[in-house]
Amino acid sequence: MTRLALVVDEERCVGCQSCELACKAENNLPVGPRWMKVDMVMKEEDGRLVASFPHTRCTHCVNAPCIKACPNKAISKRADGIVLIDQERCKGAMKCVEACPFGAPQWNPETKKMGMCNLCVHRIDKGLLPACVGFCPSGTLIFGDIKYCNEELRKHHERRMAGKVPFP
Amino acid sequence: MSEEKRVRTVCHGCHSLCGVYVTVRDGVAVKIEGDLEHPYSQGMMCAKGYAQLQQAYNPARPKYPIKRVGKRGEGKWQRISWDEALGTIASKFNEAIKEYGPHSIALHSGGNTRRAIQAMYVLGHSIGTTSICWTDAHYCWGPFAVAEMFTHGALTLMEVMVDAENSKCIVLWGANPFHAYPASGRKVHLGLHNGARFIVIDPRFTGGASKADVWLQTRPGVDDALALGWLNVIINEELYDKEFVDKWCVGFDALKERVQEFPPERVAELTWLKAEDIVRAARMYATVKPSAIFASAALEMQNNATQAIRAIACLPAITGQIDIKGGNLQPQFPRGHLPGFFYFRKQYRPPDEIEEQRIGAKEFPLLCGPKSPFGPMHPPSMIQAMLTDDPFPIRCWMFCNDPLMNLPNSRDCYDAFMRVPFSVALDINMTPSAELCDIVLPSAMWLEIDEVTDRQCCVVRRNKAIELVGECKDEMWVAFELLNRMGVKCWLPGVESVDDYNNFRTRGMGIDFEELGRRHVITCAPEYKRYEQFGSFKTRSGKVELYSETFKEHGYDPLPNYVEPPESPFSTPELYKEYPFVFVPSGTRLPYVHSMGRNIPWLRELIPHPEVDIHPEPAEKLGIKDGDWVWIEIPSSKERIRMKARLSLMLDPRVVHLQSHWWYPEKPGPDHGHWDVNINKLIHARPCDPITGGTILTGSLCKIYKAKEDEL
Repeated sequence: MTRLALVVDEERCVGCQSCELACKAENNLPVGPRWMKVDMVMKEEDGRLVASFPHTRCTHCVNAPCIKACPNKAISKRADGIVLIDQERCKGAMKCVEACPFGAPQWNPETKKMGMCNLCVHRIDKGLLPACVGFCPSGTLIFGDIKYCNEELRKHHERRMAGKVPFP
Repeated sequence: MSEEKRVRTVCHGCHSLCGVYVTVRDGVAVKIEGDLEHPYSQGMMCAKGYAQLQQAYNPARPKYPIKRVGKRGEGKWQRISWDEALGTIASKFNEAIKEYGPHSIALHSGGNTRRAIQAMYVLGHSIGTTSICWTDAHYCWGPFAVAEMFTHGALTLMEVMVDAENSKCIVLWGANPFHAYPASGRKVHLGLHNGARFIVIDPRFTGGASKADVWLQTRPGVDDALALGWLNVIINEELYDKEFVDKWCVGFDALKERVQEFPPERVAELTWLKAEDIVRAARMYATVKPSAIFASAALEMQNNATQAIRAIACLPAITGQIDIKGGNLQPQFPRGHLPGFFYFRKQYRPPDEIEEQRIGAKEFPLLCGPKSPFGPMHPPSMIQAMLTDDPFPIRCWMFCNDPLMNLPNSRDCYDAFMRVPFSVALDINMTPSAELCDIVLPSAMWLEIDEVTDRQCCVVRRNKAIELVGECKDEMWVAFELLNRMGVKCWLPGVESVDDYNNFRTRGMGIDFEELGRRHVITCAPEYKRYEQFGSFKTRSGKVELYSETFKEHGYDPLPNYVEPPESPFSTPELYKEYPFVFVPSGTRLPYVHSMGRNIPWLRELIPHPEVDIHPEPAEKLGIKDGDWVWIEIPSSKERIRMKARLSLMLDPRVVHLQSHWWYPEKPGPDHGHWDVNINKLIHARPCDPITGGTILTGSLCKIYKAKEDEL
């Protein structure tokens, strides 16, 4: 059975935020809600700086706590795994914000409702890629069945390693 | 029933020129997507590209011509017709030419669109003024042009010339293409995906640096020493390409002698690096081949910019990696195409005796004089000419960007506005500069015009996606209308209109502009080592000039050298005690291009305030917390600016990073709050790089302290 996922290959991401704006433009979001948010987090490890690029977004949890938390039963999960907020039912109670461990649900000051990454259902149902994935300059984002995503991730890594010229 | 179409065109959110499709519904652009078949950008999109819709339909965008009715800079405007606006400008220009000569008209354009630069050159070359340039000619492109053209005769280190995709070792030297030049950034991504080794030279731990095999966190402003250190390692360890050097380089022995002054240990001390890291990076660059260097404008804002770039340009030369696959390419276009900067070619420029009169030609002959590869005037000298009438008075001033935000010493620039009798802005935003003009003309965006664009090995047509918003007009149309009204013929033979101009660009390829529209893209197969085909490099000696006779004749050091910044921990240790930070300005932060983009809500959300990056360690000593407003002062200025502190491990504790070009479009005019936050208020145009007159930004000293509550 298909379970869709959006997987991030952090080895490739440099934090250009193209995906953030792709999401904004596709979903016509005002200033405020960020359904996809990329940060660059630095820390020192063994005297060296290292960085990670967390992509804050809905991870479409298996047992999504937001579904139970919503007093208006606006959140549901599709068979392919996508967690959706029904904009008709949402009353902006913001209970999902408290329930979500990732900070995914975002308040939209224009519609006065909650919204979050829906993996661009309107696009993928037409066979297109989610907006953030399609034009990512670095190829960081991988979308598809979760097995396919993990396989791609492995291939990326192998390709990089195979191409490296040895240097002492 | 709504009508929808997808227009294939070319973005111009920055200079990357990526292919895009614009979806237009009932005449309104609603979506921008990448064009997967664009030969250079291959479908990528960046944040700036997506946000272009908010620029096009920005409520604050000027939509019709206005003229000043109050005092200058008072903000009182009256709407006028294009007819009146153009008529006034044409007669003012003609009066100035009659009384003071054509050079009294200063024209320049910068980042907003390259169309605008072309329009200014069509206008300027036709009326015969030499007072023309791209706005930041002295520290963006100018030093690269001079350094590289006099070394090996072509621009190879910047932007699209870097064949990162096919490279096995990519060096980012003072460049962050992922943010500043996304299409070329994508090429670097492709190279890395193929396993390329990666060296990043940057005082900041950028996203790119986090991926690097070697990250050299150099002290800002001493890239000249670092490059000479690399040359030392590569020459002394005999890692260079002997065959290429024997056949194609002049002055290798002299260079070899020069680099002996720069053993890795000395360079390590000067650059705050470890000698072993410098050696490792230099070895990696010289042995993991093909390797390519991607350098950028950070190098041009140094006290010894031209020589630093020359030293870097020597690296691909002695390792034999100029114009090879995976190395640093020389520009190449489909045969017969006139590239976007054709007007810099000698045959399109005024005769030598006229060019000698250009502002800056005496002081900076290689940038501004007849021998210069491109021949712009020296912009800070233009401001001085406006203030002092030396070498001649400037009576009219027309520009397509924002000199007040972008030129050093904003106070002088402001005074220049007050002194020049007639000024015109042609822009897509109501900028602080436009606020000080007599007439403001609304110009078209890339979404609204047809034009020829080019990248390495390809020519692509930009197609009009939407009708002009309001009464906005194509800059080129403005240029031709002004020429008509002035009774002046275009200096290009047989070119009398925008259509003629577009056809003029393509006709060398044997097609007209319409045919280009049908084909959309014209490409050519990349050729390598074309110097073998031609039998020479495009330099005086026909070879790579490691030792430059031309530099020597002009009194400059014929070999790349190292000069410590005039203010630094080494040259002014006393001053350093009082001003304990070395600063690096204007490292690109993604959303903005120079002074543009602050008016675009989606981009502004990413960085709402000007920020200074500072290491947590010194910040703690100064009692500065993340998000605090701080004041910044530099030794040579009595003034100060303020920014928000962003505590970040990305910097050495002795270095801070300041964002540049800040203003608040939402704050009331005429100044839009820029006196508070724009770093250029503090910067002086002199001292400068002696060869190209580049302003010294990187590597200077500053101090920082917390702003008091009541000062906010």
